[in-house]
Amino acid sequence: MGKILVLAEHRQGVLRDISYEMMAIAPKLAEEMGAELETLLIGSGMDEMAKELSGYGAKVNVIDDPVFENFNAEKYQKALSALIDNMKPAVLIAPHTAQGVDFMPSLAVEKKLPLVAEAIDLTYEDSTLKATRTMYSGKVNATVAFKPADTCLVTIREGAVEAPEPAAAGDVEKIESPLKEDLSYRQFVEYIEAEVGDVDITQSEILVAVGRGLKEDKNLPDIEELAMAIKADIAGSRAATDAGWIPHDRQVGTSGKTVKPKLYLALGISGAFQHVAGMKGAKTVVAVNKDPEAPIFNVADYAIVDDMFKVVPALKEKLKEMKG
Amino acid sequence: MSIENQTFTEKYDLLGCIQCGRCTGGCPVTVRAELNVRHFVDQAYDEGKLDELARLAEIWDCTACHTCAVRCPKGLKPLEVLIGLRSMIVESGKVEPTVRDALQSVLLEGNPWEKARAARTDWMEGLDVKVAEEGQEVENLIFTCCTIAYDPRVQVVAKNMVKLLNQAGIDYAFLPEDESCCGSEVFTIGEEGLFEMLVEDNTEYLNNFNAGRIVTLSPHCYTTYKTHFPDIRIPLYHYTQLLDELVQEGSLSWKGELQKKIVYHDPCYLGKQGGIYDEPRRLLKSIPGVELLEFDRRRERSLCCEGGGGKMWIESQSTEERLADTRIKDARELGADIVAAACPFCVLTLEDAMKGLGYEEEMRVAEITELLGELIEA
Repeated sequence: MGKILVLAEHRQGVLRDISYEMMAIAPKLAEEMGAELETLLIGSGMDEMAKELSGYGAKVNVIDDPVFENFNAEKYQKALSALIDNMKPAVLIAPHTAQGVDFMPSLAVEKKLPLVAEAIDLTYEDSTLKATRTMYSGKVNATVAFKPADTCLVTIREGAVEAPEPAAAGDVEKIESPLKEDLSYRQFVEYIEAEVGDVDITQSEILVAVGRGLKEDKNLPDIEELAMAIKADIAGSRAATDAGWIPHDRQVGTSGKTVKPKLYLALGISGAFQHVAGMKGAKTVVAVNKDPEAPIFNVADYAIVDDMFKVVPALKEKLKEMKG
Repeated sequence: MSIENQTFTEKYDLLGCIQCGRCTGGCPVTVRAELNVRHFVDQAYDEGKLDELARLAEIWDCTACHTCAVRCPKGLKPLEVLIGLRSMIVESGKVEPTVRDALQSVLLEGNPWEKARAARTDWMEGLDVKVAEEGQEVENLIFTCCTIAYDPRVQVVAKNMVKLLNQAGIDYAFLPEDESCCGSEVFTIGEEGLFEMLVEDNTEYLNNFNAGRIVTLSPHCYTTYKTHFPDIRIPLYHYTQLLDELVQEGSLSWKGELQKKIVYHDPCYLGKQGGIYDEPRRLLKSIPGVELLEFDRRRERSLCCEGGGGKMWIESQSTEERLADTRIKDARELGADIVAAACPFCVLTLEDAMKGLGYEEEMRVAEITELLGELIEA
């Protein structure tokens, strides 16, 4: 029944990861629905990308027109609106990215169609399309059902699933741009590449943070080794960044960054209120400090009262043992 | 002329400036950051340049210590030009996430530390403390302060105050958990709308108490209320004034002695801004055994610790020595055993500097109430 249309996203001539990730969810849904799966690419000079996307076996519809040289939400919405009328897809899947969120909600309003934003999975049960979304910072998954509609709109969260390997080659069909009028409310001005910065510790899953207890920077390589072994990024307290051991953009605390890793290993950090305020979102806190009265232990899930220079080698040894 | 119609130049009286440069000449931050406040006052005449000025990172280096205002021969407040520029950034929403979260926390929970309002009086647990009820008649109504209420390091200020006030046997009561932030940092960060709301709400809240006077534990609250809350009807005191009075009249006296050399650090908000210099010194001198030392940079020339002006939530781009480090080195050179301050922010920044410099074994940073509290237990 019907058609599932997946809108791929690209930037600077390259398909974005989310375009592949959606191909982990859409084929499964197509099978459950007994629907035909097709993808959609909108841009200018799209031959290479269309070929790449066709590797997933689904037919690729390409709108290749200079008018789409740069992303413009207004133009995308107009084009998609016309395509929904022409192709009548049962489901239109788009990325939940800065681009996707710029046109999907207004498209839903324009066409009076239901939209589920930032889904991580889609299923078809009892003749109903259902989407899974996370709630409460990922603690709970909610399943929501679409009300019956000619076309259901969904945006998919980035990085929610792993992209599958390409399978059989599919067809590529160029379709004419449905955009007839000249739209000029929004103009593309300039593409600015984000500066290639250091690690963004606010996004780190595991952090090893050092404090004044590090004593001197020659002790840092040992800690870096430990961090590497557990795939962690290094951060520090204000004392550690002041001393120049850790770069300033890796300072945790009220005057630095607020972090929320799954694991926060605090080494030689006393845990001043201003530091703790920056890491209280960490799911699990392991603290190592010589001073049993150190306030860091008030927020630690696991407390090791000992010299960090004894604990770190022991941890490294244990890790080697577990891996070996 | 209504305030809404004021231009930037009118609001900060920029035409009153004679560009003498005493502001920048005395600004403590200039030794470690690019900030040149005189230049900002000069450039801000040009309304067309304001956006550009507001985007300069150094406007966030100002600690709102008020040295520039104290030194200005025309009675202007050059630092407020920087606050005005910060307001433009805050208004546009382009502040650091840490600053944004602190401001949001003031709005939602009445404190900038992202702590629950319900936990504001948790520090009172296990203490024999009197808490005010609305409308209650009380001679001394104590305003605790967000930082003192929540930060375990400086909660001791409030805890020791309870001991001291109980000892003196005077009529007092602490405000309950519906006490809200005085807005000191909200004002200096430049969140004008939120600050106006605090002025209105806190004025109404405090005036509802039938109190002889309001005694603040932090000089930030003291100065902010004195300067920006003209409609609070109850006289305002800082705790050093109250304790000094109690010692002078003999209601408080010390058991034991403290054979230590103490140097007193004048907090900017208490000294330069609050005009209170002598009471803290008299309190320290009242302790038997104490030898009171003086910094060269003292009283209205006191060196700022860099704790105010929103600096708890935004870091300077400078990697030069922090002023708190300079202060602690000066204290060590004087041979001080204890650096005493009467401000929670000064205690936090100075103690951090002392630990960072590795002087922990030989020196101590203490809030005055900590020293006094220990002397009634002895």
